[in-house]
Order: sequence, then structure tokens, then C-alpha cells
Amino acid sequence: MNNLDDMKSLWHTVTTDKLPSSTEMLKLIRKFRRQKLRNKWMVIVSCFMLACLVAAALLIVHFKMATTYIGGTLVVIASLLLAATNIRSLKRFYNLDDQDNLNFLEFIAKTKENQIHYYQRTMVVIISLTACGWVLYMYELVYRYPVWCIVIYFIMTVYLGIMWFIVRPRAFKKDQQKLNATRKRVESILNQLK
Amino acid sequence: MITFEELYSRYSPQIFRVCLGYTNNEDQAQDLVQETFIAVWNGLPGFRNESQIGTWIFRIATNHCLRAVAKAKRMPGGELPFNLAAPVEESIEEKVSILYRCIGELAEAERIIISLELEGLPQSEIAGIVGLNSGNVRVKVHRIKEKLAIKLRAYEQFR
Repeated sequence: MNNLDDMKSLWHTVTTDKLPSSTEMLKLIRKFRRQKLRNKWMVIVSCFMLACLVAAALLIVHFKMATTYIGGTLVVIASLLLAATNIRSLKRFYNLDDQDNLNFLEFIAKTKENQIHYYQRTMVVIISLTACGWVLYMYELVYRYPVWCIVIYFIMTVYLGIMWFIVRPRAFKKDQQKLNATRKRVESILNQLK
Repeated sequence: MITFEELYSRYSPQIFRVCLGYTNNEDQAQDLVQETFIAVWNGLPGFRNESQIGTWIFRIATNHCLRAVAKAKRMPGGELPFNLAAPVEESIEEKVSILYRCIGELAEAERIIISLELEGLPQSEIAGIVGLNSGNVRVKVHRIKEKLAIKLRAYEQFR
């Protein structure tokens, strides 16, 4: 079995009977085709809904303090920034299927770099804007109804603190190790093609 | 205009064998065939260059194989046994099992190139799928073939 023709004839003896028929495949496709990027779409829709909700509240309700408007605007900006990041990523994925392997691997390596950049920069900006935004946005409510709202305000501040000081660094550390490992593997395959 | 059903009937066995060459695992290969044809289904309405449709489908399939690496789903390579019936001395199944096991021991890019070559694709088309020029592919196929021959001889010797 040392020559290519022997290998080729053996290669073609593999049975493919277990593959689904085209009708079954169409059923599977209808079931799963939207699943792959569903999470990204959900983030985008949620961001737009939150931005619209906060903007509507700012326009309809007549708040007295400037902190509410500043806070609301920061939350809207953070939501739109998160939506824009995800839309950019989606666009890249939709344009991906007609790439050769070399370009595809370069794209994956670049994506992993972008993800690290996202954790280091974009995510920090988004969380900072969101945290400052909510703290300022809720301030008027606490100022007007201190008894009822101080507890909510306290819980919210503690929650944001935990997310910022504990959850974010841990998640980043864990994901960064994975991202670096993947990037190294992708680079090693890229080297195989060079 | 070629229909999805025609494309599926024509290319799914080929795609399955190429994915099997990469994964050396029947279930993973079937999953990759499914992912490939989901992408084909999504991209088909916008695809115009019908003469290149085979290259397009093979690109999608091989990119999905490579994406498994990016998802940190480590492909088993040669360390896991190929999922065929128990080998019988000198049987076709045994030979196929050894062939796939040896391919599974190659590096990722080599697995893709040799799978496409064994599938009978012209080297110019393999070059279009992988992203190299035809000369490079010819050299790589030659080297991979030599590596594979050494591995196959070793298996036959220690059987």
C-alpha cells in the first residue's frame, strides 16, 4: 500500500451510508442554521432594546438633575458600543466562507488578537461607561426617595464592584490563556502552510 | 441553476471522506459535514460562480475542520483509533483503518492536503482551496506521500 494509487483506491472504499439523506439534511439545516451566531444576535438586539428604553425614559420623563441625563447617555453609549462591536464581528463571520485556508487561518489568528484587545480595552471602556452611567442615572431616584432606594443603590454598587474587581479579572485571565493557546495552535498550522 | 439536493448528493460523500481524513473520527466527520452544508445552504443564494462551486464547498469544509482547532476542540489525530469494525487480518477494513490512522498522525495542514489529493482533486484546485500555488502543492503532496509511505511501512512492519 505504498503508492498513491493504492491509497486512493483504499480511500474511496470508505462507506458513506450513514450520512443523512438530502431531505434529512434539509431538516437539520432548518433546525440549526440560525443557532451558530444566535448569541451574538441576542446581544445586539438586547443592546438596542436597552439603549431605546433608556433614551425613551430620558426623553419622556422630565428629570430634574443633570446626573440622570449624563448617566442615561453613558448607558446608551455603552450599549451602542457593545452592539457595534458585535455587529463588526458578525459581518466578518458572514464574509468568511469564501476564504482559502491560509486567509482563513490568518483571520482566526487576527480574531484571537482582537479578542485579547477587546478584553484589555473595549470591554474596560464598556464596563466603565455602564457602571458610571447606572450610578449617575439612579442617583436622582435615591436623592428623591432615600429610604426605598438606598438599599437598591447599595446592592447595585456592590454588584458593579464585584463584576469589576472580581469577575472581570478572573474571566479575562481564564480566557486569555485559552486565546493564547489557540493562537499558538493556529500559528503553528499557518507555519505548516508556509 | 444547481439545486441544494444535487450539490449534497454530489459532494457530501467527498466532504465526509475529507473530514474523516482530518478527524479520524466518524461522528466528528459527520458533524463537520452538517456544519459545511449549513454554510453552503446559507451562502448558496448569493453564490454566482458556479464553475468554482466545488472549490467553494471544499474551502468551507476544510475551514470548518480548521475552525475546530480555533474552538479548542482538539482533533484526535492519530492517538484515537479509527471507528471501523474490528480489523481482520489483511482485510480492506484493516488497510483503510491503517491508512486513516497514518493520515491522522500527520500535521493538520498535511492532513487536509493529502485528503484532497486522495479524493482526486486536481492540484490546481487544491491550491485554490488551501491558498498556496500549484508548485507548492505539488512539492507538499510529494513530501506528505513520502511521510505517509514511511508510516505505512512502519505499521506493516510492527503489525
